Amino acid sequence: MNNAFIQSVSRMLLPPAFVVAVAVWLKGYAEAGDSFGAGVLAALAILLQYVASGRDAARQLPGVRYAPQVAGVGLLLLLGVTFVPLVFGHAPLSHVPGPGEKVLHLGVVEVYTAVLFDVGISLVVMGFVVTAIDGLLSQRSKTAPPGGGMASPGKER
Amino acid sequence: MTVVLPLVLVSLSVPLVLGVGRWRPAWAGLVGVGGAAVSLAAFARGVAEGPARLDVPWIPTWNARLTLALDGLSVLYGGLVLGVGLLVLLYARVYMPHYLEEQKRPRDEEPRLHAWILVFMAAMLVLVMARDALLLVVALDVTTVASYFLIGYDRERVASRSAALLALVVTGSTSVVLLVGVVLLGVTYGTFDLERLVDLATRVGPGPRLGWALGCVAVGALGKSAQVPFHFWLPRAMAAPTPVSAYLHSAAMVAAGVFVLQRFFPLLALEPRVLQALAGVGLVSMVMGSVFSLGSRRLKRVLAYSTIAQYGYVLVMVGLSGDGAPFYVLAHGLCKAALFLTVGAVTEATGKDSLTDLGGLGRSQPWLAATSGVAAAGLAGLPLTVGFFKDELFFHALAAHGPFWAGAGLLGAALTLGYTGRLWVRLFLGEPRGVGPRASAGLVLPIGVLAGLTLVGGVWLAPLSRLATAAGGQMRGHAVEVSLGYHLDTRVENLLALGAWTLGGLLVLTRRRWEEGLVPVLHTAGNWGAERLYGAVLSRADAVSDALRNLEVRDLRDRVAAVLIPAGLLGLLALGLAPTSGPLFIPGEVGWDDLPLLMGLAIAAGAAVAALGARNHLHLVMLLSCVGFSLAAVFSFAAAPDVAFTAVLVETTFTLLFVALLSRLPRESRVRAQTEAQRPRGRDWLYAAVAGGSAMAMTWNALSHLSEERVMTRHIALSQSAHARSVVSAILADFRGLDTVVETSVVVVVLLGVMHLLSGERAE
Repeated sequence: MNNAFIQSVSRMLLPPAFVVAVAVWLKGYAEAGDSFGAGVLAALAILLQYVASGRDAARQLPGVRYAPQVAGVGLLLLLGVTFVPLVFGHAPLSHVPGPGEKVLHLGVVEVYTAVLFDVGISLVVMGFVVTAIDGLLSQRSKTAPPGGGMASPGKER
Repeated sequence: MTVVLPLVLVSLSVPLVLGVGRWRPAWAGLVGVGGAAVSLAAFARGVAEGPARLDVPWIPTWNARLTLALDGLSVLYGGLVLGVGLLVLLYARVYMPHYLEEQKRPRDEEPRLHAWILVFMAAMLVLVMARDALLLVVALDVTTVASYFLIGYDRERVASRSAALLALVVTGSTSVVLLVGVVLLGVTYGTFDLERLVDLATRVGPGPRLGWALGCVAVGALGKSAQVPFHFWLPRAMAAPTPVSAYLHSAAMVAAGVFVLQRFFPLLALEPRVLQALAGVGLVSMVMGSVFSLGSRRLKRVLAYSTIAQYGYVLVMVGLSGDGAPFYVLAHGLCKAALFLTVGAVTEATGKDSLTDLGGLGRSQPWLAATSGVAAAGLAGLPLTVGFFKDELFFHALAAHGPFWAGAGLLGAALTLGYTGRLWVRLFLGEPRGVGPRASAGLVLPIGVLAGLTLVGGVWLAPLSRLATAAGGQMRGHAVEVSLGYHLDTRVENLLALGAWTLGGLLVLTRRRWEEGLVPVLHTAGNWGAERLYGAVLSRADAVSDALRNLEVRDLRDRVAAVLIPAGLLGLLALGLAPTSGPLFIPGEVGWDDLPLLMGLAIAAGAAVAALGARNHLHLVMLLSCVGFSLAAVFSFAAAPDVAFTAVLVETTFTLLFVALLSRLPRESRVRAQTEAQRPRGRDWLYAAVAGGSAMAMTWNALSHLSEERVMTRHIALSQSAHARSVVSAILADFRGLDTVVETSVVVVVLLGVMHLLSGERAE
């Protein structure tokens, strides 16, 4: 699995994968796709590095090191969008601008607070997936010989 | 503002105490005293300004409001809670440093006590001012939580911890019953506002629902006030440091129970049976508590049993509709707090806590003897103290209900004088035993203030009468006249009082004759009470839960079955019981268009069957993900691209997650699980049939009853105006947005759990 070609391709795939994730998120307002999918997609792009170049190399990515914080920021965003309207005397999770009101258009995307909400969902999902899998692998690679990449349990036979 | 100001001040002093305590532990007590004093001043100003009210919407869908009001009852109880609390904090400031030093504990444990006492005080303030039943329950539960931490203050001692847990379990579980009663009231009358509840219930009249609800409320109050059969937590709670006992178990926590009854009294008056039951329970507690108090040797236990007895009196008064019940609590709280503080000071000075080791302290502790003598006289109801009037009102209420109750009152008051007198006489008179250094002035001062109040209350009657009248009127729901005064004539109250003093005096004088016999009898009796039942129930429940758990964790397949079988049976039950129109299952039609769908399903089924024969875990994971991917394909054929997309992503993630997990499992356990899985057992087939059959039946049933008018059609119509053309996004972020927030929060909590679990493992 430790193939230099695979490693460099997987590394090169990272930026386009994020672009696709953003596309999935934005496309979600018009058709299939949503922020949850975008978050999972981004996480998978990072996890691809684990499969291709092993944990130690993958951990160099800032997206892995700060994954728990990313989830935290996402949750804060969600809670903010939910509860800030309370301060102004609206029901929780009242979006601004409200239903039927005029909004700023960026292409098909209509800019309102739900967009921020969706960013929060993406960040939480991405942070969760990356942290969980990274955590599960963390001890293994300490005991396993370095450079082994992802452990393959099939070797037990 | 006048209503919330004392509350805000108390609440603000909690973080202040903790903050200052971290910096200078020695100053924390002073800050606490300051906070309590300022808030007492604010409370007094509020009382002087007259009735006030705060009313804010809280949970509009349940018609619950944050309603706080200063009325007769809350003025009396609020004054008691803040006043005694202030004195107890003053006492604790001197007491706690010695206490910690004796046990060789660091000084920085001290602020915790002050902070929790203030939390408790704030909760009590909310409780006494709440005019909304739900708010009242919430405040009551906060006092329970605070009491848990206060009783269990000495974390290192097993006795403290178990006493705290006992108090939490008993008062917490009974307050759940109270909550049931309150919710029943709210559901029946559509409001939680106490005034409206009384209004509606009076108009509708009594009914079975009202009876049940009030029964539940009464149970909650009995648990909190340590009445039979929930009394046993109180003597054990004496494991707490003295300031905690003096506050919680004289004037605050136990008072909360009877306060609730007095608050609900206009409703209780509609159900005479509940009132009669309360009076009966009160009588039993009164006798039981008094007798145990007479026979106890440990100082604090004498007082604890006496508290049970005294709140029994209050219960009898409430049960017999006595107007003086709130006043009784006030007078008792003053005297009892002083006595608790006294025994704390005695133990502090001499290092002993049992009547057998102590005696004749009058000479070495003159101030303590004098001040506690006044408090004891007050508790015993002697004239020139505020206690005289509590007994007068007690006799007044009882005499109106015939000779039986008058006799019971006479007996009760005589016993009170008996145990109070025995305690004081044995402590301070006679042969000196266990004499220690003089208790410090800081400890005697709060007792002196309480004793002074007891005396002032015995002679300056006008303000007390006003207080008692306002509180009694608030309790009864209509204006009453509670007049305090000395009458030198042969009215029945005076005769009863004289009889009680004579009997009680005899009890004290003849104490040597009965004491020796009583103690062993009570010791045996103590083994056969409600506490034993509680222990038996607890250990039985523990055994059952152990047995269930052992059944469940025998092996992995049983554990899975323990989830799947009940779920499957529940599903089948719901299917059988739920009312449906038309047949349960409608077979649909299959045409050529469904071919891709059927092919996808066939692949999924094939993968599932192949999973049975997987040779190792990695193969198993791959086969299961095959099932998932082919189902995703099925979704895409069924014109659900959103679901298909999400399914593919989730399936990929799960495969990775499984593989990562497998890499962590020790090889031996994997091999063992594998060999086990190769030997299917008969019951596994049964489990699979029940779970799978139930899931299929439920799905088929749901798909057989698709109606045109679904919530989806409304969502689709609404999504346009919600700025999202895709209805899924609109649902996630807008229509069901709060669900999303909660689910996402759960995800983050799980994440924290996973991280903690993994880091803990690494630490090992």
